[in-house]
Amino acid sequence: MDGSYSKLIDTFSSEISELKQEMVQPAVPVDREPESAVLRGLESEVSGLFLQASDCAGTGGARDSGYDSLRRRLSVLDRLTQTHPIWLQLSLGDEDARRILQPQPPGAFMVRKSQKQQRKVISLRMEISSNHAVLDFLIKESQYTFSLEGSGISFADLFRLVAFCCISRDVLPFTLKLPEAIATAKSPADLEAVAKLGIGFWDSALSDRRKEAACEPQVVVEEPAQQRAVQPERQSAPPRDSAAPGLRTRAPSHLERSQSKGALCFINPLFQQTHQQPDAPNPEPGAKATTALPANNNHPQQQQQQHREQASSGSPLRNGTHTGPAASQSGTAGGGVALTRDKSVSRSPPPPRPPPPRSRSVPRRPAPPKQRSMPETVAWINTPPSAPPQKEKSSLLGRLGSSFSSSPFGSSLSFASSSSASSPPKRISAPIPVPSSWGKKPPSGPDVDGLRCHLALDDQTIEQAVSLSLAKLSQRNASSVDTASPSPRSSLLEASRGPGEGVGVGCQRPAGEEGGVSARTRGNSERLSDLSFSTSSSDSLDFSSHGFPLSAQSPSKGGRGPAGDSSMEEEEDEEEEEEAGEGECGAESDQEMRPPFKAKKRASAGTFVLPRALRGHLRKVSGVFSSLMTPERRAVRRVVEQAQDKSTYFGCLVQDHVSFLLENGGLGHTSGTELLQTLRQFMTQMKSYLLQSSELDPPIESLVPEDQIDQVLEKAMHKCVLKPLKATVEGALRDFQVKSGAWQQLKENLALAKARRPQEMGVDGALPPDPVAIEKIRHKFHTMHKMYSPEKKVALLLRVCKLIYTIMEDHSGRMYGADDFLPMLTYVLAQCDMPQLDTEIQYMMELLDPSLLQGEGGYYLTSAYGAMSLIRNFQEEQAARILSSETRNTLHQWHRRRTTQRSTPSVDDFQNYLRVALQEVDTGCTAKTLVVRPYATTEEVCQICAEKFKVPDPESHALFLLTEETTQQLAPDTHPQKIKAELHSRPQVQPFYFVYRRIANPNTAADDQLNGNCEPN
Amino acid sequence: MAIIRELKVCLLGDTGVGKSSIVCRFVQDHFDHNISPTIGASFLTKTVPCGNELHKFLIWDTAGQERFHSLAPMYYRGSAAAVIVYDITKLDSFQTLKKWVKELKEHGPENIVVAIAGNKNDLGDIREVPMKEAKDFAESIAAIFIETSARNAVNVEELFQKISRQIPPLENPEVDSNESFKLTRQAAPSSRRCC
Repeated sequence: MDGSYSKLIDTFSSEISELKQEMVQPAVPVDREPESAVLRGLESEVSGLFLQASDCAGTGGARDSGYDSLRRRLSVLDRLTQTHPIWLQLSLGDEDARRILQPQPPGAFMVRKSQKQQRKVISLRMEISSNHAVLDFLIKESQYTFSLEGSGISFADLFRLVAFCCISRDVLPFTLKLPEAIATAKSPADLEAVAKLGIGFWDSALSDRRKEAACEPQVVVEEPAQQRAVQPERQSAPPRDSAAPGLRTRAPSHLERSQSKGALCFINPLFQQTHQQPDAPNPEPGAKATTALPANNNHPQQQQQQHREQASSGSPLRNGTHTGPAASQSGTAGGGVALTRDKSVSRSPPPPRPPPPRSRSVPRRPAPPKQRSMPETVAWINTPPSAPPQKEKSSLLGRLGSSFSSSPFGSSLSFASSSSASSPPKRISAPIPVPSSWGKKPPSGPDVDGLRCHLALDDQTIEQAVSLSLAKLSQRNASSVDTASPSPRSSLLEASRGPGEGVGVGCQRPAGEEGGVSARTRGNSERLSDLSFSTSSSDSLDFSSHGFPLSAQSPSKGGRGPAGDSSMEEEEDEEEEEEAGEGECGAESDQEMRPPFKAKKRASAGTFVLPRALRGHLRKVSGVFSSLMTPERRAVRRVVEQAQDKSTYFGCLVQDHVSFLLENGGLGHTSGTELLQTLRQFMTQMKSYLLQSSELDPPIESLVPEDQIDQVLEKAMHKCVLKPLKATVEGALRDFQVKSGAWQQLKENLALAKARRPQEMGVDGALPPDPVAIEKIRHKFHTMHKMYSPEKKVALLLRVCKLIYTIMEDHSGRMYGADDFLPMLTYVLAQCDMPQLDTEIQYMMELLDPSLLQGEGGYYLTSAYGAMSLIRNFQEEQAARILSSETRNTLHQWHRRRTTQRSTPSVDDFQNYLRVALQEVDTGCTAKTLVVRPYATTEEVCQICAEKFKVPDPESHALFLLTEETTQQLAPDTHPQKIKAELHSRPQVQPFYFVYRRIANPNTAADDQLNGNCEPN
Repeated sequence: MAIIRELKVCLLGDTGVGKSSIVCRFVQDHFDHNISPTIGASFLTKTVPCGNELHKFLIWDTAGQERFHSLAPMYYRGSAAAVIVYDITKLDSFQTLKKWVKELKEHGPENIVVAIAGNKNDLGDIREVPMKEAKDFAESIAAIFIETSARNAVNVEELFQKISRQIPPLENPEVDSNESFKLTRQAAPSSRRCC
C-alpha cells in the first residue's frame, strides 16, 4: 500500500514539475488560464481521477506550440462550461430531446429536465444496437451536490458531473461524448462560436450527425490490459477522421503514456460513497450493457506502477504496450481525454462492482447519509456517543481533523495519502480547529461554507506539498487504528433542552451550536468529510477565469512564503464580513456558546499549519478565491458579480435601485414599513426574474441543486441590495420614527420600564437574568445591529431568546412556556435600554425571507415585537400588562401580509403544473407533479394520470378535488387548472388536493392517509 | 424545434387602471376583484407561441403610484416592449398615458414596441375616453392599440399577440438562436412583422 502510494506521489511530482515547466513559458497566452491542478485534502478513495486534455501531438507528431498548448489548455470542463447553450437544455421536452439525439452518434448527450420525472436527466444516445435510441439517466440533487442516480460520486455542479461522465462512465453504459466541434475546438473563441448556435447546433452542419449517424460509437471504453482481447476489432479499427479527434476514454494504463505535459486537472467528486454492495442494483436499464464490460480496476497497483513510470518518463510518445493502434489514439488526440485512476479509487466500475479492496488501511468511510435530509445537529447531540456508527464518524473526524489541524499539508497530502494519515496524538487533546462557522450554520441547509476548508493549490504548492508529504510518508504508518478522539458530550444533552434549541427551522443557528464543541465536531465530522470532497471538486476545473497565474505570482514565496494572515481567513473575511460582529459576540460568549471561528483559528494557529504554509501563496492568487468556494458560495458570488455589472439588465436594475435609494433614502415613502416592503418586494422580484429569465449564464440550476436555489438567491440579494443600503435604510427608519414621535415616546417609556422590577413587568416566578447576563444580551443586540442580513439578525435574536430561556430554567430548574417568556423578554428588553431595537425588529419582520417566517424565526419575532410594543406603550399598558388590541391587530396584519405573500402561487403553478395524488387502498398515496396545460380538461388530465401512475384500469379511475370537508369528482369537461386558479384566488385559500383514484370506492380510511401524505397544491 | 426568445415587457400607466389585472389575466387567467396596489414592481412570465418561435414574456408590472414613478425607467430601459395602460372610464389616466409616451420617446430604448391598452372595456357605459380618440393617438405614434377587459378576459391575449408580432423574427436562427439562452442581448425590435 505504502509502496504504491509513494509511487503515486512520484507520479504527481513528476507531472507537476513538468506542468510547471510548461506553464512558466511566457509565450503561452494567458487570457485563458490553465486549468488548475488542484489537490485536495481527501481520502484516497476520491483521489486519482484526473482529466488530462490529451496531447495533440498525435495529430501530426509535431507539436505546434501555439495552438497546441492553447488547446491543451481547454479542459473538458472548460469546453463544457463554454458550450452549455448546446448541451444544457433544461426546458427541452422528452420528444425533442429524442428527436435531436437520434441522428447523433452514440455517446451524444444533453442535460435537461425530464417532464415525466420532473428531474434533471442526462439524455444519452445509446449504441445503435441498443433497444433504446436515447436513454435518460436521472441526476440526483441533494445538499449542494449533483450525482447520477445509482452512483456514489457527487459533484459540486452539473458541469463537473458531466465532465466526469465524459471521462468515466461510472454508472453509464459508456462515457459521454462531446460533439466533435466542441471536443476539437482549439480556442475559447472557437467554443464561443459553436456555443452561439445554442440548441441549433444539433441541427447544424457542425454536429456530428450526418457523418456519423451510422457509425460505430466513437467512444471506446478500453479495457485493462488483461481484458483487451475481448474487443480487439474495435481497437484496431482505423480512425475515421484523423483530423477530427473525438473522445477516448482510456484505461489507466493508457494514461501513463499520454503526455504528462498535458494540462492536468483533477476532478474530485463531492461525495463519494463507497460501494459496499458489489452488486448494487442499477436503476437504469441502459446500464445493463455495462455488465459486459470488465471491471477495470483489477490490478490497480500494477496500473499505478505503469502510470508512474510512464508519467515520470515524460515521454510524449504514446507507445502501446497493449493499446489499440496508435492511429486511433492520434486520431482522437486533440480533444481526447485520458482517464487515470488511482489504485484505490473506489469509483467503482459499473456493476457488477467488485468489492473495493479490503486491504485499505483506513477505516472505511461510512456511506454518507442520504444527503437530502442531513440530520439535525440535535440528533447528533442526543445520540449516545458509544453507538458504533457514531464512533466511526468521529474516527473520520479524527482523521480529517488531523489533517486539518496537525499535519502540515495534511489536507493536500491526504488526497494522495489515502488519508491514512494516522493522526498525531496532539490532535486528540487539542480542540480541532474546525472552522467555527460550522456550528453557526443551519442544520437544514448545512452551510458547509465555513467548514469547507478550501485548499486549492497551485501547482507549486502542490509540488511542495507532495515533496513534503513524501518526507512525511515514512512517519505515517498506514495505521488503521481508529484514533478518534472520544467525544465529550454530557453538557450537550442539557443544552438541547429549551425552546430556543430547535432553532433550526427558521434560522441559521442550530441548536448544536449551543451544544458545545464535541457535539459540533462530531456532528460535523460527517459534513467535514463531505466537505473536503466538495472542496476538491469545486474547482479543480473551475470555470474559465481562475487558473493559477503561478508563474507571475512571486514564485519566490513558494508555498511557505512569509505568512500574513491566513488566506483562508481573508476569504472568510471577505465573504463574511458581517459575521465579524458575530465573532465578537461569541468572544464574550456565554458558557455554552462557542468561541468564534477566528479566535479559535488564531488560537490554534500553531497547529494549523497547512493554511499558513499556503497562505502566502493563496492570497496572491486573486482569481483562486472563487475557486475555493463551496458551490453555494460560488453561486452567490456569481449573482453578486452580475449585480455589479451594469451591462446586464439585472445589474442595471440592482444598481439603479440601490443608487436611487442611496440618494433618496426614505423620500417618497410614507413609512418605514413601506420602505422595507418596497425593498422586500424588489428582492423577491429580482429573485424570480433571475430564476425565470436566462440572464444568469450558466443557469443557476446547473450550479446548485434545485432545493437550494432560493436560498442562494436570497443570500445574494441580501448581499447586493441590503448590504450597500444598510446605513441608508437604518437612517431612513430612524427618521420616520423620529418624525412620528415614536422615537421619543419609546425612549421615555424605556426609561420608565427599565426602573421596574420584573414582577411589575408580569414576570411570575422565574428569576430574571443578572446584570452580567443582561450585558451579554446587550452585546448580542449590538452585534445584531451590525448585520445587514435579516436572517442573521433573526438568528441572533433566537440566541438571545434561547439564552433567556436557559437562564430562566437554570435558576428554577423547571421549564417555562411562552406565558412566562413574554414578560421576561419584555423585562430584558427594557433592561437593555436599546430603543434602536424597535427598528431592528421592524427590519427583520419586513425583510426576512417569507419562508423563514413560518418557523421559530417568525415566532420569536412576534414575541419581540410584542415585547417592544408593551414597552412602547408602557404607560398606558402597564396596568393591563397585555398587548393592546392595536398591537394585536398590527401583528395580525403583518402576519397575514407576509404569509399570504408566501402562499401566493408561483406562475408555474398556474401555467403548467398540477400536483395530483394517486390514492390507492393498499399503497396509500403517491403524488406527482404533472405538466398540465391551463386549458387541459379533466379528461385529458385523467389520461395523463393513467399513464404516469401506470394505472392498468383507467376507466375505473377519476379525478377528484378534495378539500378539508368535501370530496367531489370532477366532470370530464372541466379544467383542473382553472379550478385551481379559482381556488387560489379565493381570499382564504383552503388546502385542497387533486386526487386520482378509483371511482365509487368511498374508502374513508384512505382519506386520512391522503391528508397525511400529500402536499397541497 | 421552437426557439424560445425572451422578451421583456414593461407595463406602465396610472394607478388603478388595471395593469396588474391585465398581467394576472394574461399569465394566470384569473381576475381578482380585490387586488392590492403593486409595490415597486412585480415580475411574471408567460410563454406563448409565435410563428415557429416561442416568446417568453418577462413581464415587469410596475407600480402606478406617482411615488414609484422614478423606478419605472429602470424597468423599461431594457424592455423590448412597453404596454401603457389607461382606464377608459378615467380621462385622467389617458392624460397620464400621454406623459408616459413622451417619457418613453425621450428616455426609452430606441426600438421599443409601444402598445396602448384601454382597460375596463367592460364598463363601456361610464366611458370617458372615446375609443376613436385613443386609437388616433396610438396611430399617430405608431403604437399598437387595443381595448381590453381584464375582468372579462377580453383582448388580453390579443394584446400580447400583437406585441409578439411586432417583434421581428430572428434573422438567422441558426446563428442567433442562442439569444434564447443568453438574453443579455435583447432582440432589437423593429416594426417588421413576422407572422
